[in-house]
Amino acid sequence: MTRLRRLLYLSTILIVLPVVFVTDVVRAVVDLDVGGLWALREVMLVGAFLAINALLDDWRKHHRRGIAKEIGRLLILTIVALIFFGTLVFTGAGDLIQGTDAAQNDSVLGMFWGTISGVVLGFVAIWTLQTVREIVLFKRRKETKRNFVVFLVLLLLSCAGASPIVPLEGGFLLSLFLPLTVVAIVVISFRQNWIVYLSRREKVYTLIYAGLLFFAGLFYVVLLFQESAAGKEFDAFSRPLLTLTKLNALLTTIYFGMAFVTTLFHLPTAEVFERKQSEINSLHNLTRLTTQVLDFNTLVETVTQLTQEVCGARSVWLELITPASSGGWKTQVVANRNITLSDLEAVGEVFDPSLREILMETKKVVLVDDTWSDRRTKSVKELGVLRGSLASVPLTSHGEVIGILHASKDLEHGFDQDDVDVLTTFGDHVTIAIENARLIARSIERERLQQELQVAKRMQKQLLPQVLPVLEEAEFAAMSESSAEVGGDYFDIVKLSETTWAIAVGDVSGKGVSAAFYMAEVKGIVLSLSKVYASPKELLARANDALHGSLDKRSFISLVYGILDTEAGTFRLARAGHCPMIYAANSGTVLVRPNGLGLGIADSHVFTESTEEQILKLNEGDVCVMYTDGITEARNPSGEEFGYDRLLRRISEVRERSADEIKIRILDTVRTFVSTGTYMDDMTLVVVKWLRTNAHTDHSSTSPASEVRKKKETKHE
Amino acid sequence: MSEFKVHHREGEGVNVIELKGYLDAHTATDLETAFQRLLNDRKYNIVVNCRDLTYISSAGLGVFMAYIEDVRKNRGDIKLTNMSTKVYNVFDLLGFPILYEIYKEEQEAVRKFNEHAGPSR
Repeated sequence: MTRLRRLLYLSTILIVLPVVFVTDVVRAVVDLDVGGLWALREVMLVGAFLAINALLDDWRKHHRRGIAKEIGRLLILTIVALIFFGTLVFTGAGDLIQGTDAAQNDSVLGMFWGTISGVVLGFVAIWTLQTVREIVLFKRRKETKRNFVVFLVLLLLSCAGASPIVPLEGGFLLSLFLPLTVVAIVVISFRQNWIVYLSRREKVYTLIYAGLLFFAGLFYVVLLFQESAAGKEFDAFSRPLLTLTKLNALLTTIYFGMAFVTTLFHLPTAEVFERKQSEINSLHNLTRLTTQVLDFNTLVETVTQLTQEVCGARSVWLELITPASSGGWKTQVVANRNITLSDLEAVGEVFDPSLREILMETKKVVLVDDTWSDRRTKSVKELGVLRGSLASVPLTSHGEVIGILHASKDLEHGFDQDDVDVLTTFGDHVTIAIENARLIARSIERERLQQELQVAKRMQKQLLPQVLPVLEEAEFAAMSESSAEVGGDYFDIVKLSETTWAIAVGDVSGKGVSAAFYMAEVKGIVLSLSKVYASPKELLARANDALHGSLDKRSFISLVYGILDTEAGTFRLARAGHCPMIYAANSGTVLVRPNGLGLGIADSHVFTESTEEQILKLNEGDVCVMYTDGITEARNPSGEEFGYDRLLRRISEVRERSADEIKIRILDTVRTFVSTGTYMDDMTLVVVKWLRTNAHTDHSSTSPASEVRKKKETKHE
Repeated sequence: MSEFKVHHREGEGVNVIELKGYLDAHTATDLETAFQRLLNDRKYNIVVNCRDLTYISSAGLGVFMAYIEDVRKNRGDIKLTNMSTKVYNVFDLLGFPILYEIYKEEQEAVRKFNEHAGPSR
C-alpha cells in the first residue's frame, strides 16, 4: 500500500516535471498560446510539489533523528542548494543563460536551468518547512499549532498571490500577505523551547548548526533578492515557487538566528539541567526498584551504582549497621563501587571512633571537604586512599540509623549543596528499599514457617486414630482439636487382644510446637508399653520413668490410661495427674479419680508410691467419658469456666444416647457456653459406651448394679 | 481477665512471694523472674502466698517444677499457702500436694521454716 503510494508520487513527479519543461520549450519556440494552458501548467506544478511534500514526509517519518541531527541534515541540504544556486548566479553560467540579447531570454538552456533551480530550491523549501514544523511543534501547546497553521496559510497565500493565474491585479495579494508572513515567521521564531531538552552535547552541535544556518540563510536571501539572470529564469519557471523560496530563506535566517541566540544562552545551564534530568531519572529508577520484589544484593548494587551516577562520585559504598548481641553495633559493607573491600576495611577501622559515631548521633549528612586534612577523617591519609571529599548519609528508619551511604570524589570541595540534597533524598529511598527488601524476606520466611506448621498439623492429626474400632460390646466416639496449628492433646484407642482395648487420653503442659513434640513422644511410649504391661498403673510408672528427666524441667504430661475388657466387662484404669474420668451409670454420674501424679514430675519411687489403679465393672448402658481440661476450663465471655458440674449434668442428661450423640451434645453445650466461637485451649473428648457383656460372662454376672471396687470417686449431686 | 502481679517481701529469714490474678503461659515469666532473683541472692526459704491467685495453668505449675530442685539442693524449700479451693484442685489433680508443702496460712509455713531452719523434706 505504502509502496504503491510512493510509486504514484514518484511517477507523478517524474512525469509532470519533464512535461512542464517540454511544454515551456514548445510554447517558446512555436509561440503557442492556447487558453488555459497556463492554468494547467500551474496546477501540474502544484501537484508535483505536493507529491514531493508527501514523499518527503513519508521518508522523514521512517528516518527520524534527534533534533540536533535534523538541523545538521537541514544545514547540509541548505548549503548544497546554496552552492548550486550561487554557482548559477555568479559564474558564467548566468551569462550563458542570459546571453546579451533580450530575445535569447527564452533559450532552452535558460529554461532548463530555471526548471532545475525551481525543483532543487523548492525541495529545500519543503524540507525546511517540515523540519521547522517538527521542532516548533515539539512539546507543543494548543496555540503553537495554531500559530504554525496561520504561518503556513499566509505562506501559501503569498505564493498564490504571486501566481499569474490569480485573476486579481498582480502584486496586490503579494503585497498584502508577504509582510504578514514575515510577521508570522518572527512569531514562530520565538518558539524555541525544544532547546531546553537537548543534552549538553546536542546543544553544542545545535549552536554550530544554527549559527551556520543563519549565515547560509542570510546569504540565500541576498542571492534570491538581487537581480540576476538565474533569478530571472527561476522567476520565469514559477513565480509562486520563487516567492516560497524567498520566504524560506527568510525563515531559515530568522528562525535559526533566534535558535542560535537561544542555544547560546542555554549553554551555561546545560550541565545543571542535564544533571537534574539524570537525578530525576535515577530517583525514578530507585522508586521503581523499591516497589519491586528484588533480591537484596541486586538492590544494594543498583543503589550504589545510581548514587555514583547521580552525583558523579568516584567511589560509593553502602554499609549496614545492625545492633550486636554483645551491645553496641556492628557494620557490614554490603555494596562497594570503585573501592576495594580491603581498603574499606582499613578505612572502616580508622573511621570507627569518630565519623560513625557522629553520624549515628546526629543522624545527619556528614560532609568532609578535604579528607586528608579534616579532623574527622585525616587518618585515611596514612592509608593513601580517599583523597578528596567525602559525603556520608545516614539511613534512618524509625529513628534508628540502619546504615550509611558513603560517596567520595577526587576533588576537594567536590560535593555542593545540590549533591547533599540529592544524597539525602537518595538515602531516604534506599532506606525504604532496604526496609522493603527485609520485610519481604521476613514475610517469605514467615510463609515458609506457616507452611511447615501446616505440615506439622497434618502429621499430628495422623498421629490420632483415624478410624475408631466398631465392637459389638462397646461404642467409641472421639474428637480432638487444637487452638493453634499444633497442640499438646493426645488420645488413642489400641487393640491389645481380641478382648482387650487400651484407651488413653493425655495432655502435655504448655502449647504449640514443643507440646506437639512431647505429644508424639507420649504416643510412642504408650503404644510400645501397652503391648508389654497389662496393668495401667505399671504402664504409667514405666512411662514416667521414660519421661522423667528427659522432659524440659517446666513440662509435664497428664494421662489417663484404661484397659477395656470386653469379655469380663470391666474398665481398669489409672490416672497420672489427668482430669478425672466421668462415669455415668444408673446409679448416678460420678468423677472417677484414683490418686496419681502427672508424668515427668517425680521420680519412679514417688510416682509408684502415690499412683493407684481402679477397676470399674460395667453394666449395659454405662458411659465413660475421658477429656482434657480444654473442656472443663472453657470460658464464657464473662470469664466463667464451664467446670465439672455442667459437664456432669450434661452427661447424665444424654447418657442414654449413642456414644457419638453423647460426644456431639457435650461439644454443642460447651460451644454454646463459650459462645464467642474461639477456644482458648486444645480440647479432646473420648466417649466409651458399654452396650453388653459377652454371652459367657453374662451368665456369671448377677449383680445388676455397677460395682465400683474402689470407693474413691466423688458423687455428683 | 484480671492481670497478674508478683509481690515480694522479706521477713524472719523467709521470703514471701505474693501472687495475684491469672498465672498462665504469658504471666509465668514474671514469677520465674521473681524466683530467679531470690536464687541469685541465695535466698532459698521461699513461701508463695496464693491468696489472690485466681487461676493457674499448666505453664504456671511448670514454674514451680523448674525451681524446686535448685532450691532443695540448697537446703531450702518452696512452700505454698492460702490457696483458694479452685487453685488447690488444680495442684491436687496433678498430685502436687505429694511433692510440695501446702498450708492454709502463711504463718504456718513461716513457722515451719523457723522450726527446722532447713529443708523439711
